[in-house]
Amino acid sequence: MTTRLESWAPKALVALGVALLFVGSFWGLAKAPGEVFMGDVQRIMYVHVPTAWNAMLTLTFAFVCALFSLFTNAWKWDNRLEAAMEMGVILSLLLCMQGAIWAKPTWGVWWDWDPRLTTTAVLVFAFGGILALRAFVDDPVKRAVWSAAACIVAFVDVPIVYFSVRWWNSLHQMQSTPETVSKAFHWPLRINAFGILFLWTGLVALRARVAALRLRSEIAPPVPEAPEGKSAPTGARFSGGDR
Amino acid sequence: MGIVEGGWEFVVAAYSLTAVVFGAYATSIFLRYRSERNRAAIEARRETRG
Repeated sequence: MTTRLESWAPKALVALGVALLFVGSFWGLAKAPGEVFMGDVQRIMYVHVPTAWNAMLTLTFAFVCALFSLFTNAWKWDNRLEAAMEMGVILSLLLCMQGAIWAKPTWGVWWDWDPRLTTTAVLVFAFGGILALRAFVDDPVKRAVWSAAACIVAFVDVPIVYFSVRWWNSLHQMQSTPETVSKAFHWPLRINAFGILFLWTGLVALRARVAALRLRSEIAPPVPEAPEGKSAPTGARFSGGDR
Repeated sequence: MGIVEGGWEFVVAAYSLTAVVFGAYATSIFLRYRSERNRAAIEARRETRG
Protein backbone atom coordinates (compact mmCIF):
# COMPACT_ATOMS: atom_id res chain seq x y z
CA MET A 1 0.00 0.00 0.00
CA THR A 2 1.49 3.32 -0.96
CA THR A 3 0.98 6.39 1.20
CA ARG A 4 -0.25 9.63 -0.26
CA LEU A 5 3.29 11.09 -0.16
CA GLU A 6 4.73 8.02 -1.91
CA SER A 7 2.05 8.35 -4.53
CA TRP A 8 2.61 12.04 -5.24
CA ALA A 9 6.39 12.38 -4.75
CA PRO A 10 7.41 10.87 -8.15
CA LYS A 11 4.84 12.97 -10.00
CA ALA A 12 5.99 16.09 -8.15
CA LEU A 13 9.62 15.30 -9.06
CA VAL A 14 8.65 14.89 -12.73
CA ALA A 15 6.73 18.20 -12.67
CA LEU A 16 9.65 19.99 -10.98
CA GLY A 17 12.07 18.49 -13.50
CA VAL A 18 9.97 19.64 -16.46
CA ALA A 19 9.64 23.15 -14.97
CA LEU A 20 13.41 23.41 -14.44
CA LEU A 21 14.06 22.15 -17.97
CA PHE A 22 11.80 24.89 -19.36
CA VAL A 23 13.63 27.58 -17.35
CA GLY A 24 17.12 26.24 -18.13
CA SER A 25 16.38 25.78 -21.83
CA PHE A 26 14.84 29.25 -22.14
CA TRP A 27 17.92 30.70 -20.42
CA GLY A 28 20.26 28.72 -22.67
CA LEU A 29 18.40 29.55 -25.88
CA ALA A 30 17.44 33.16 -25.29
CA LYS A 31 19.61 34.75 -22.60
CA ALA A 32 23.04 33.04 -22.56
CA PRO A 33 25.60 34.37 -25.07
CA GLY A 34 26.70 32.29 -28.08
CA GLU A 35 30.18 30.72 -27.96
CA VAL A 36 33.03 32.49 -29.81
CA PHE A 37 33.83 29.73 -32.33
CA MET A 38 30.73 27.57 -32.41
CA GLY A 39 28.23 30.44 -32.24
CA ASP A 40 24.62 29.42 -31.60
CA VAL A 41 25.28 25.72 -32.24
CA GLN A 42 26.99 25.60 -28.83
CA ARG A 43 23.52 26.03 -27.23
CA ILE A 44 23.06 22.29 -27.78
CA MET A 45 25.45 21.94 -24.83
CA TYR A 46 22.68 22.95 -22.38
CA VAL A 47 20.78 19.72 -23.09
CA HIS A 48 23.65 17.48 -24.23
CA VAL A 49 25.98 17.89 -21.24
CA PRO A 50 23.23 17.53 -18.55
CA THR A 51 22.01 14.43 -20.43
CA ALA A 52 25.55 13.01 -20.30
CA TRP A 53 25.98 13.71 -16.55
CA ASN A 54 22.61 12.17 -15.77
CA ALA A 55 23.14 9.13 -18.03
CA MET A 56 26.32 8.35 -16.04
CA LEU A 57 24.47 8.96 -12.77
CA THR A 58 21.52 6.75 -13.73
CA LEU A 59 23.80 3.88 -14.72
CA THR A 60 25.78 4.32 -11.49
CA PHE A 61 22.47 4.07 -9.60
CA ALA A 62 21.70 0.90 -11.60
CA PHE A 63 25.09 -0.50 -10.53
CA VAL A 64 24.30 0.26 -6.86
CA CYS A 65 20.87 -1.41 -7.27
CA ALA A 66 22.57 -4.47 -8.82
CA LEU A 67 24.92 -4.78 -5.82
CA PHE A 68 22.05 -4.41 -3.33
CA SER A 69 19.92 -6.84 -5.33
CA LEU A 70 22.64 -9.50 -5.17
CA PHE A 71 23.56 -8.98 -1.54
CA THR A 72 20.12 -8.41 0.01
CA ASN A 73 17.98 -10.60 -2.28
CA ALA A 74 15.20 -8.01 -1.91
CA TRP A 75 12.83 -7.65 -4.86
CA LYS A 76 12.66 -3.88 -4.45
CA TRP A 77 16.29 -3.57 -5.61
CA ASP A 78 15.57 -5.68 -8.68
CA ASN A 79 12.62 -3.44 -9.53
CA ARG A 80 14.82 -0.35 -9.13
CA LEU A 81 17.55 -1.99 -11.21
CA GLU A 82 15.14 -2.62 -14.08
CA ALA A 83 13.85 0.97 -13.89
CA ALA A 84 17.33 2.53 -13.68
CA MET A 85 18.73 0.47 -16.56
CA GLU A 86 15.81 1.42 -18.81
CA MET A 87 16.28 5.10 -17.97
CA GLY A 88 20.05 4.75 -18.50
CA VAL A 89 19.53 3.28 -21.96
CA ILE A 90 17.07 6.07 -22.89
CA LEU A 91 19.49 8.77 -21.69
CA SER A 92 22.53 7.17 -23.38
CA LEU A 93 20.66 6.78 -26.66
CA LEU A 94 19.43 10.38 -26.44
CA LEU A 95 23.02 11.43 -25.68
CA CYS A 96 24.28 9.74 -28.88
CA MET A 97 21.55 11.38 -30.98
CA GLN A 98 22.11 14.87 -29.50
CA GLY A 99 25.85 14.37 -30.01
CA ALA A 100 25.31 13.44 -33.67
CA ILE A 101 23.25 16.62 -34.19
CA TRP A 102 26.03 18.69 -32.59
CA ALA A 103 28.77 16.82 -34.49
CA LYS A 104 27.42 17.56 -37.97
CA PRO A 105 27.91 21.38 -37.95
CA THR A 106 31.11 21.30 -35.87
CA TRP A 107 32.99 18.16 -37.03
CA GLY A 108 31.34 17.87 -40.46
CA VAL A 109 30.09 14.33 -39.81
CA TRP A 110 27.10 12.85 -37.95
CA TRP A 111 29.17 10.06 -36.41
CA ASP A 112 32.79 9.07 -35.97
CA TRP A 113 34.20 5.88 -34.42
CA ASP A 114 36.01 8.02 -31.89
CA PRO A 115 36.70 6.50 -28.41
CA ARG A 116 34.10 8.62 -26.57
CA LEU A 117 31.34 7.97 -29.12
CA THR A 118 32.17 4.29 -29.49
CA THR A 119 32.25 3.58 -25.75
CA THR A 120 28.92 5.44 -25.32
CA ALA A 121 27.38 3.34 -28.10
CA VAL A 122 28.70 0.24 -26.27
CA LEU A 123 26.79 1.45 -23.17
CA VAL A 124 23.53 1.57 -25.13
CA PHE A 125 24.00 -1.93 -26.54
CA ALA A 126 25.28 -3.45 -23.28
CA PHE A 127 22.46 -2.19 -21.06
CA GLY A 128 19.90 -2.60 -23.86
CA GLY A 129 21.07 -6.20 -24.15
CA ILE A 130 20.55 -6.76 -20.42
CA LEU A 131 16.99 -5.42 -20.70
CA ALA A 132 16.41 -7.80 -23.62
CA LEU A 133 17.84 -10.65 -21.52
CA ARG A 134 15.35 -9.80 -18.76
CA ALA A 135 12.49 -10.02 -21.25
CA PHE A 136 13.54 -13.55 -22.28
CA VAL A 137 14.02 -15.06 -18.80
CA ASP A 138 10.77 -16.34 -17.30
CA ASP A 139 12.07 -17.30 -13.85
CA PRO A 140 12.04 -14.07 -11.77
CA VAL A 141 14.83 -15.24 -9.44
CA LYS A 142 17.20 -16.18 -12.29
CA ARG A 143 16.25 -12.96 -14.08
CA ALA A 144 17.13 -10.86 -11.02
CA VAL A 145 20.48 -12.59 -10.40
CA TRP A 146 21.60 -12.71 -14.03
CA SER A 147 20.68 -9.14 -14.82
CA ALA A 148 22.34 -7.83 -11.63
CA ALA A 149 25.55 -9.73 -12.50
CA ALA A 150 25.40 -8.53 -16.13
CA CYS A 151 24.82 -4.94 -14.96
CA ILE A 152 27.94 -5.07 -12.77
CA VAL A 153 29.99 -6.29 -15.76
CA ALA A 154 28.48 -3.70 -18.14
CA PHE A 155 29.11 -0.90 -15.64
CA VAL A 156 32.85 -1.26 -16.31
CA ASP A 157 32.18 0.78 -19.47
CA VAL A 158 30.88 3.82 -17.53
CA PRO A 159 34.28 5.01 -16.18
CA ILE A 160 35.80 4.13 -19.58
CA VAL A 161 33.30 6.53 -21.24
CA TYR A 162 34.17 9.23 -18.72
CA PHE A 163 37.95 8.91 -19.01
CA SER A 164 38.07 8.05 -22.74
CA VAL A 165 38.74 11.68 -23.69
CA ARG A 166 41.80 11.73 -21.39
CA TRP A 167 43.15 8.27 -22.18
CA TRP A 168 42.97 8.43 -25.99
CA ASN A 169 43.21 11.03 -28.74
CA SER A 170 39.63 12.02 -29.31
CA LEU A 171 37.69 14.30 -31.59
CA HIS A 172 35.42 14.90 -28.62
CA GLN A 173 36.31 17.76 -26.30
CA MET A 174 37.37 17.16 -22.66
CA GLN A 175 34.67 16.71 -20.02
CA SER A 176 32.52 19.80 -19.54
CA THR A 177 32.57 20.87 -15.89
CA PRO A 178 32.07 24.30 -14.26
CA GLU A 179 35.88 24.66 -14.40
CA THR A 180 36.12 24.05 -18.15
CA VAL A 181 33.23 26.21 -19.40
CA SER A 182 32.74 29.96 -19.27
CA LYS A 183 30.83 31.39 -16.29
CA ALA A 184 28.15 32.77 -18.61
CA PHE A 185 27.16 29.18 -19.44
CA HIS A 186 26.97 27.88 -15.85
CA TRP A 187 23.37 28.62 -14.88
CA PRO A 188 21.51 27.07 -17.82
CA LEU A 189 23.79 24.03 -17.54
CA ARG A 190 23.13 23.61 -13.82
CA ILE A 191 19.38 24.25 -14.06
CA ASN A 192 18.98 21.71 -16.88
CA ALA A 193 21.19 19.22 -15.02
CA PHE A 194 18.90 19.41 -11.97
CA GLY A 195 15.85 19.38 -14.26
CA ILE A 196 16.91 16.07 -15.85
CA LEU A 197 17.95 14.74 -12.42
CA PHE A 198 14.49 15.37 -10.94
CA LEU A 199 12.81 14.08 -14.09
CA TRP A 200 14.66 10.76 -14.10
CA THR A 201 14.35 10.17 -10.35
CA GLY A 202 10.57 10.65 -10.60
CA LEU A 203 10.30 8.46 -13.70
CA VAL A 204 12.54 5.74 -12.23
CA ALA A 205 10.41 5.69 -9.04
CA LEU A 206 7.24 5.25 -11.12
CA ARG A 207 8.87 2.67 -13.41
CA ALA A 208 10.05 0.69 -10.36
CA ARG A 209 6.43 0.57 -9.19
CA VAL A 210 5.36 -0.75 -12.59
CA ALA A 211 8.03 -3.47 -12.23
CA ALA A 212 6.82 -4.26 -8.68
CA LEU A 213 3.18 -4.59 -9.80
CA ARG A 214 4.17 -6.85 -12.72
CA LEU A 215 6.33 -8.99 -10.46
CA ARG A 216 3.48 -9.32 -7.99
CA SER A 217 1.09 -10.67 -10.61
CA GLU A 218 3.87 -12.87 -12.02
CA ILE A 219 4.79 -14.49 -8.71
CA ALA A 220 1.26 -14.73 -7.33
CA PRO A 221 -0.97 -15.56 -10.32
CA PRO A 222 -4.42 -13.98 -10.34
CA VAL A 223 -7.03 -15.61 -8.16
CA PRO A 224 -9.54 -17.40 -10.44
CA GLU A 225 -13.12 -16.22 -10.58
CA ALA A 226 -15.22 -17.93 -7.90
CA PRO A 227 -17.94 -20.23 -9.21
CA GLU A 228 -21.50 -19.12 -8.54
CA GLY A 229 -22.33 -19.36 -4.84
CA LYS A 230 -18.80 -20.42 -3.79
CA SER A 231 -15.88 -18.39 -2.44
CA ALA A 232 -12.64 -17.87 -4.43
CA PRO A 233 -9.61 -19.89 -3.26
CA THR A 234 -7.47 -17.94 -0.81
CA GLY A 235 -3.81 -18.35 0.05
CA ALA A 236 -0.56 -16.54 0.74
CA ARG A 237 -0.11 -13.50 -1.51
CA PHE A 238 3.14 -11.98 -2.70
CA SER A 239 4.03 -9.05 -0.50
CA GLY A 240 7.13 -7.78 -2.32
CA GLY A 241 9.68 -8.97 0.23
CA ASP A 242 12.82 -11.06 -0.30
CA ARG A 243 13.60 -13.72 -2.88
CA MET B 1 40.45 28.97 -37.39
CA GLY B 2 36.91 28.07 -38.48
CA ILE B 3 33.88 29.75 -37.02
CA VAL B 4 30.46 28.11 -37.22
CA GLU B 5 27.78 30.50 -38.43
CA GLY B 6 24.06 29.98 -38.13
CA GLY B 7 23.09 26.45 -37.19
CA TRP B 8 19.84 27.21 -35.39
CA GLU B 9 18.22 24.31 -37.23
CA PHE B 10 20.59 21.94 -35.39
CA VAL B 11 19.79 23.60 -32.06
CA VAL B 12 16.04 23.31 -32.70
CA ALA B 13 16.49 19.67 -33.77
CA ALA B 14 18.44 18.78 -30.59
CA TYR B 15 15.93 20.43 -28.23
CA SER B 16 12.92 19.02 -30.11
CA LEU B 17 14.40 15.53 -30.06
CA THR B 18 15.05 15.81 -26.31
CA ALA B 19 11.47 16.98 -25.67
CA VAL B 20 9.98 14.20 -27.82
CA VAL B 21 12.10 11.45 -26.20
CA PHE B 22 11.37 12.59 -22.62
CA GLY B 23 7.69 13.22 -23.43
CA ALA B 24 7.19 9.83 -25.09
CA TYR B 25 9.03 7.92 -22.37
CA ALA B 26 7.20 9.73 -19.53
CA THR B 27 3.84 9.10 -21.24
CA SER B 28 4.67 5.40 -21.67
CA ILE B 29 5.56 5.09 -17.97
CA PHE B 30 2.38 6.85 -16.80
CA LEU B 31 0.26 4.62 -19.09
CA ARG B 32 2.04 1.43 -17.95
CA TYR B 33 1.66 2.50 -14.30
CA ARG B 34 -2.05 3.17 -14.70
CA SER B 35 -2.65 -0.12 -16.49
CA GLU B 36 -0.72 -2.16 -13.88
CA ARG B 37 -2.48 -0.39 -11.02
CA ASN B 38 -5.88 -1.11 -12.57
CA ARG B 39 -4.94 -4.77 -13.01
CA ALA B 40 -3.77 -4.99 -9.38
CA ALA B 41 -7.01 -3.37 -8.21
CA ILE B 42 -9.11 -5.88 -10.18
CA GLU B 43 -7.13 -8.77 -8.68
CA ALA B 44 -7.51 -7.34 -5.17
CA ARG B 45 -11.29 -7.00 -5.68
CA ARG B 46 -11.48 -10.64 -6.79
CA GLU B 47 -9.63 -11.71 -3.66
CA THR B 48 -11.79 -9.72 -1.26
CA ARG B 49 -14.97 -10.93 -2.98
CA GLY B 50 -13.92 -14.45 -2.00
